[in-house]
Formats: sequence, structure tokens, C-alpha cells
Amino acid sequence: MTADPSSPAPETAGESRLALNEDWAATILGLGLLALVLLGAIPAGLVP
Amino acid sequence: MTADATRTGTGPDATRTEEGTPVDPVVADDAVEPGSSPTTVDPAEPTIVARDGTFWAWTALGLLIVVGLAALTRYLEQNVPAWAEGTAVEDVGAAVEYPVYAILLGLLGNVAITALGWRDRIAAAFRTEFFIKTGLVLLGASINLAVIASAAGPAIAQAILLISGVFLFTWWLAGRFGLDDKLRALLASAVSICGVSAAIAAAGAVRARREQLAYTASLVILFALPSIFILPWLADVFGLSDAVAGAWIGGNIDTTAAVTAAGALAGEEALQIASIVKVTQNALMGVVAVALTAYFTLRVERRPGAARPGLSELWTRFPKFVLGFIAASVIATWYLDAAGTDGKATIAIVNDLRVWFLILAFVSIGLEVRVASLREAGWRPVAVFASATVFNLALALGLASLLFRNFSA
Repeated sequence: MTADPSSPAPETAGESRLALNEDWAATILGLGLLALVLLGAIPAGLVP
Repeated sequence: MTADATRTGTGPDATRTEEGTPVDPVVADDAVEPGSSPTTVDPAEPTIVARDGTFWAWTALGLLIVVGLAALTRYLEQNVPAWAEGTAVEDVGAAVEYPVYAILLGLLGNVAITALGWRDRIAAAFRTEFFIKTGLVLLGASINLAVIASAAGPAIAQAILLISGVFLFTWWLAGRFGLDDKLRALLASAVSICGVSAAIAAAGAVRARREQLAYTASLVILFALPSIFILPWLADVFGLSDAVAGAWIGGNIDTTAAVTAAGALAGEEALQIASIVKVTQNALMGVVAVALTAYFTLRVERRPGAARPGLSELWTRFPKFVLGFIAASVIATWYLDAAGTDGKATIAIVNDLRVWFLILAFVSIGLEVRVASLREAGWRPVAVFASATVFNLALALGLASLLFRNFSA
């Protein structure tokens, strides 16, 4: 059967939400790592 | 990623999206050809299974494999040139870069884990999209804000023209091939904007069936893989400048991870421009998703009383890592101004971290490729996707040559 237009929430919408959470996680981790490097908490020798 | 549960679409025939979100299996032998007639997707159908200890143990094993292959990639990248010195393969050894090792090792790992029957159990660790987005935020730190400012104009112009042209062409062609409107929207979004991310956004907008999304995601990855190697080679054959090559790669290859891999093979400046162009296309994804939502709600499905999507929907659909990319560039540009030449050594550490995340993403691409999807796809959507890719290649080359011809930061 086709997806019922009146059904509450299509499954694919949930995947969009997960992707958005991943966006924020990547942003926070990336900027966090940048901050740690600039503050000297991650020295050159630590990253092979 | 913060999902609390996963669906059962991790069986033998399951595939995954670029986001690493498990997508239910493409309905295989007994299935109708996607786009032709209705098949079974009951929104209530997928069983939610708890993420228990076994799930986390398998995922930890998967992560160990991804990190192990990434470490091996780094080791090969740093040592093969020295090993090859003075031998017949010296030139090859020096020329092969980390995306090649990472993808090849990922593909080899894919064969091994498939043979062992582990593939679907550990697949939650293949977080291609998360790794690539983190890598792109870190990449922002190596791009001077002036470069982003200079490239923004042509990148936005190229993105608007390319997305419009390729989307409309794919939509039209898919209609000629008799595909249904939802699959048309998914394929057109995937080819014209940014691969699986766009397909997911479009799938939410048009309420597509899950097998259509799974299947579009597989097509995107299978087409992107050869592009990583072919486009940098063609750019060299055509004698394109770094900026034009970067804009072409960024505008043409569907997935952001593959753009970054191809850009890295084409050179640092090409990588920077390719990333800016791709990030611009990512940013426009929200506009297309909102337009599709409106079109399908008001014109295709004609749901009575359906509300027009508001501006808040634009923000919901906006890929937030783009903000991280720009913020990293602003912070690093300010830092380098303040610290002078000493600051370059510090930014080099950020670049090393970026390479690690990109390697993790490329290894994950290799690990999650699923060749069987092409067979399951049926020929019509594959033909549409292939034709749209060729159209995209030509249009992107023309626009990149025009808009980035005299580019300088």
C-alpha cells in the first residue's frame, strides 16, 4: 500500500530529525576540538 | 547522534543512509520496481528494538574496526612514499593520497565483515555523515575568511543555477521514464543538491516510501565512489585551474564526503573551493525541502486544510554544521591575525585532526557500500540517475568555468 497521507508521521521524517542532531553534534565536536588546540590542550605530538 | 532505538532494518538486505541511519531494506525480488506501483510501507511497521548491551558491544567492535582501518590508512600515507623510494613504483607511491588508501581499506574491510556475517551488526558504527561534518567544521579553520567571502558570490550563483537546472532536468527525465512523483523528487534532490542528505530531506518533505529512500541512498553512494577518482583525473586532463576544478567537483559529486575525497586528491586549493561550493549547496537544501513540502502538500496530494510550510521550516531543514564551518573560519582567521606566523603551527594541528575525521569518513564509505542495491534497483531509476549525473557534469563544468575563471581570494 502507499503511505497514507493522513497517517501521523512518515518514517522518513524521523530520519531527517536524526540527521539534524548529527549536525549539531558535529558542530560542537569540531569547534570543541578547535578550541582545545588553540588553548594548547592538544599539542602537536598528540595527533599522529 | 542521539537516537535511542534503532529499527530492524539492519538485516541482511538493509542499507544505510549517508547519515548512518539504518534504512529498511529495499524490497528485493518480490518487489515492484520503485516508482511503478505501490509497495508496502506501513508507517507503523518498523519494529523498534532496544539498544541493549549486545547492540553496543557490536557497535564498539565496529568503531574499533573503523578507527583501526583509519590508523592503517594514516600509517600507509606517511610511510609508503619512503618505502617506494628508489623502486619502480616510486612515483605511484608518492602520488597516492589518504582518500585512496581509506576507501580501498574500507572496501576490503567490507568484504571481510560481509564474509564474517558482521556487517549489519556493526553498521551503526559507520557514521560517515557525522565524521565528514566534523571534518568540514575543522576544515573551516584552514580557510581564511577572505576566501569564503570571495567565493561566496560565485558559489551561491553556481549553486542556484546548478540546483535549478539539474533538479528540473532530473524531474522531467524521471517523468518521461514513468517513475512516480515521490521517487522523482528523491532522485532529483539527490543528484542536484547533496546526495543522501538531500534525499532524506526530500523524503521527509514528500512523505516518500522508505524503500525509495534506501534505494536512492544506494544509488548516490555507488555513483559517487568512481567520481572521487574520475573527476580529479578529468580536471587534470582538461587543464582546469585549482579553483575551477574545485568548483566543478563541489558542484557535481553528490555526497559531501565524496566531494571532500575528490577535492583532497585534486589539491588543497581545490579542496577549499570544492568544500565552499558544496557547503553552499548544503545550505540551500532547506529551501528545496520547503518548496517540495509545499508542492506535494498543495498540488500533488491536495490534502484538505493542509497548511503552507512556514519560515521556521527553513531553519529546521538548515544543515547546522554550515554554521560551525563558518565559525571555525572566523575563529582561525582572527587567531592567525593575532598570533602571526607562530599561529600556523597551531592550525597545522587542527589540519591533522581534520585529516583524521576525513579518513574515518572515507573508511566508512568503503565499509557501507552495497553493490547488490544496483541489481535491486531496476533499470529505469538507474538510467535516470546516470543521465542526470552526466547532465550535472556538463552543466557544472560550464558554470564553474564561467564563474570561477578569474577567481582569486
